Amino acid sequence: MFDFSLVRYLPKDANIPFISMRWVAMVLSIIGIIASIFLFSTRNLNYGIDFKGGTVLEFSIGVDPQAELENIRILGTSLVEGEVGLQTIARLADEETGAERPDGLRLSIPKQPALEGADNDDKAQTAAFKKVEAAMVAAYPNYEFLSEQILGTKVSGELKKKGAMAVILALLMVLIYIWFRFEWQFGAGAVAALAHDVILTIGVFSLTRLEFNLSIVAAILTIVGYSLNDTVIVYDRIRENTRKYKTKPLEEVLNLSINDTLSRTIMTSVTTLLALVALYIWGGTGLNGFAFAMIWGVFVGTYSSIFVAAPILMLLGVKRSGVQK
Amino acid sequence: MLHFSRVKIFFIMGAIVLGILFSMPNVLPVGVRDNLPAPLPRNTLNLGLDLQGGAHFLLEVDVKDGVANKLKAESSDIRKILRGERVRTAAPVRVDKEEPYINVTFKTFADEEAGLPLLEARSEPIDENKINSARTLNIENISELRYRVSLTDEMVSYMTERTINQSIKVLRDRIDPTGTMELTLAKEGSERILLQVPGADNEEVKKIESVIEKTAHLSFHEVKNPDSPLELQVCIEEQTCPPGTSAYLDEERGTYLLLTERPILTGADLKKSDPGLAPQTNQPIVNFTYNFAGANKFCDYTSEHVGELFAIVLDGKIISAPNIKGAICGGSGYIEGNFTIQSAKELALLLNAGALPAKLRVAYKTQVGPEMGADSIRAGKAASMLGLLGVALFMWLSYGLRFGTIANTALAINIVLIAGALSILGATLTLPGIAGIILTIGMAVDANVLIFERIREESALGRGPINAVDTGYRLSLAPILDANITTLIAALTLYFVGSGPIRGFAVTLAIGIVMSVFTAVVVARLMSAVWLRRARPKTLPI
Repeated sequence: MFDFSLVRYLPKDANIPFISMRWVAMVLSIIGIIASIFLFSTRNLNYGIDFKGGTVLEFSIGVDPQAELENIRILGTSLVEGEVGLQTIARLADEETGAERPDGLRLSIPKQPALEGADNDDKAQTAAFKKVEAAMVAAYPNYEFLSEQILGTKVSGELKKKGAMAVILALLMVLIYIWFRFEWQFGAGAVAALAHDVILTIGVFSLTRLEFNLSIVAAILTIVGYSLNDTVIVYDRIRENTRKYKTKPLEEVLNLSINDTLSRTIMTSVTTLLALVALYIWGGTGLNGFAFAMIWGVFVGTYSSIFVAAPILMLLGVKRSGVQK
Repeated sequence: MLHFSRVKIFFIMGAIVLGILFSMPNVLPVGVRDNLPAPLPRNTLNLGLDLQGGAHFLLEVDVKDGVANKLKAESSDIRKILRGERVRTAAPVRVDKEEPYINVTFKTFADEEAGLPLLEARSEPIDENKINSARTLNIENISELRYRVSLTDEMVSYMTERTINQSIKVLRDRIDPTGTMELTLAKEGSERILLQVPGADNEEVKKIESVIEKTAHLSFHEVKNPDSPLELQVCIEEQTCPPGTSAYLDEERGTYLLLTERPILTGADLKKSDPGLAPQTNQPIVNFTYNFAGANKFCDYTSEHVGELFAIVLDGKIISAPNIKGAICGGSGYIEGNFTIQSAKELALLLNAGALPAKLRVAYKTQVGPEMGADSIRAGKAASMLGLLGVALFMWLSYGLRFGTIANTALAINIVLIAGALSILGATLTLPGIAGIILTIGMAVDANVLIFERIREESALGRGPINAVDTGYRLSLAPILDANITTLIAALTLYFVGSGPIRGFAVTLAIGIVMSVFTAVVVARLMSAVWLRRARPKTLPI
């Protein structure tokens, strides 16, 4: 009965020569990394206010804001230093009546220079926000408050430092764990793969100009976790196979291990992607950036386990008992 | 691997039942939940501010402001003491206009000899109960006869800490005088205050902001007559006033008044304030009563200064400067000003709660309207339901009814356990936390996939069903643990280094990892074992 497991159609004895593709992959990865570093150093990231300070006000004017966008932009810009940013945000239909609700607006006020005599810009930030909000309330009788965020430069600077520290610390801890559980070559390979993922993710955010905020840092750490998960599974199989096939050349063992775990890699990537796509489409604007980063991370993390973490062992060598390499 | 003792089964089932019990309150209607019999848990997930609406502030005390106030008071004390001992100075003892120190320049060496010990005596141990306690003041000799008096770093940090603790107390009395709100007010780091007001709507938050911004320093000052109009002019324009005085604008009269810096009375001398209406004009006023010492001081002062003006100053602004018509000894009084009923009420509240020892700044603020929070919850629910559905369908299609069901049951139990664990821990569910749960849904099946793939491999090698399943579980354990411990390390790092909502994400991710390993390695294995024993299949449907 119900005997339809489709997984059977996945190749059981896949034998894709991943390792011999390592040079192509290496060139691709290096190009990607250089491009990412280049993008990051020339155009940096589009930091959200979490990291650069500033103010965001989300509100609704009660009607479709499309016709008013330019007026609001001009009005906002006239009240603060620098130019305000404006974006529409989609909103769900009313829960009780089911009526469509007009788009809301997300207005961002850039970082304001510190007021005279103040040692930081906290007050200027709050003052600018109040002016803009008061103007919007006055201009639009159906003004409805949705949310706001105010961040002084000091706190945002700290958040940035903390975020970078979290990523570096996580990489370090993981290196120690893998070193402890495997050989040092595996630790080095895993961290290289993770650094590869982190750099490429930052590159993508630099390229797309998507907002880089705290939740993206969370996403990067999760990508680190996910990619590591993948890498460790492959490594574990490599360790098992090096013990099992004592005389096989390393290249073959690596290739075999990747192919052995391939169906698992595919299955897990698909289920994770299914959940993430649901999050991306239905999870609301607040989680869009996070979902996007994670979807990217699943691809890049899977790629790096196969094409970075494993081939690096070819370069570094693996200690094997009783055989000549 | 496939043998389970009765005790083990008992514990596994127990854990699942507990998980169900603790997660139940989250799905029960409120009426049912509140009427649950006593031993059953009623705790639900705490919703973060981003989901239930409300505001989150990080307030920073203005240390500079506090230091300036302290120095001002200190300079006035030094002046008084030197004058009392007839020590002469070349220039008035003043706080420097640019930097936070007091300049003291003695007139002659004789003055220096007499005055220096007096200065040094001003520097006291911060903590009198401690031997070798750091002192309050730094006294540096800049050049001949010139000294610079400043606060020591220890004093500044001591003041900051005290300021924060006092501010927290004052803020609580101001925002929640009746103690009925669900308020978080706590010290964060060394110079910040965390203030969270869950569930507050925009109106309430605006009200709270307005009481945070006001330090409510109330003081009564003597109004000095300037020696000449020029003196007042210089004081206003160049800020070089006669020592111990400052010029303030009296908006009502439209002129500047020269006030003594040392107040006759301060807000601390008041006992209780109430809003009220003036008997004749019906204008809103603030009535107050003095405490005992305050009443005496004011009585003495007013009886000596009949016919003169005195000024009531609130946060650096004169709010009124009445004429003293006669001695005021009744122990009560009122403040007139251009109050509305609302602002009189607010001032009374502020005076009752006391003044903030220093100005507060908003260093960080997030506020989410309740409606927006509700939207996020709906979106989160939709995304998790659809994500769950997609993953479950995919697992069924991939592994067939038998193993698909095992994996999906494990997934369902996993989610129940996550909800139960979060409820027990009293963890806060935030928007990123929802993301963590959805992500967990996708990644939780990983352990099962690993095991199933291994079983397929082992079965392809020619092992019988029982042997293949057993070996599959056994050989998958190490990679599952390694892979999940490393992810757990990343999640824990995120928790300890991250802040606010990000922590919510780290918590759900970490709990999700632990639960997914438990459900895959223990619960799903139990299900497979039971099935194998009952059905004794010849081949595996996988």
